[in-house]
Amino acid sequence: MADKQELRLDPDPVIEAYKQHIDLTLIRESLKLTVTERMERLLEMQRLAEEMKRAGRVAKPAR
Amino acid sequence: MTDFKRLLETLSGVEFILVGGVAATAHGSVRLTVDLDIVYRRTKENVRKVALALAGVNPYLRGAPPGLPFRWDEETIWRGLNFTLTTELGAIDLLGEITGGGGFDDLLPHCVRLEPFGIPCLCLSLKKLIQVKRAAGRPKDFDAVAELEAILEQTAEAP
Repeated sequence: MADKQELRLDPDPVIEAYKQHIDLTLIRESLKLTVTERMERLLEMQRLAEEMKRAGRVAKPAR
Repeated sequence: MTDFKRLLETLSGVEFILVGGVAATAHGSVRLTVDLDIVYRRTKENVRKVALALAGVNPYLRGAPPGLPFRWDEETIWRGLNFTLTTELGAIDLLGEITGGGGFDDLLPHCVRLEPFGIPCLCLSLKKLIQVKRAAGRPKDFDAVAELEAILEQTAEAP
């Protein structure tokens, strides 16, 4: 998505180091989606996070 | 949980720009975010619209103890600038300005038009989003900035 004013972003060594650990496969899949689909997926992630928090609160020892 | 769709519908008619995690999602981020961050235009008319739009969802200062005197109206917004709020639809950060980006009019040339859920809205461009997150300089954002830069590289490489 283009920016009307050209912005220059010089490489930042700290960010470059963090970039080594980014999973590009997930990003490529995300870029195939529409904006609405990305936001719907975000809502699903929120629901999952809430459910896992709830499950964690009532978790019992496995043995 | 934050109902982003209904919050965006609630803000219909308000002049604002999507920034933060939801803007990152719109650009392709796969990270979880739980609040809606917007920069609203600081004009009398728009502040009145913001006050009216959110009045129906009971905004309250997020993290503040219950019962603290808090009146949600135009005057409160004028006296303040940035508000971190909880509402019946979830968390919203209402920002008059952001570090490294300024206010609505400063950010406007760096926006793209989106229609998530069919709702027209302005969203900060990917490059500007990276720039303001870099300017904020918060260590918690390093991973998010790295992801956004990777997205920028991927989209630049796209045919």
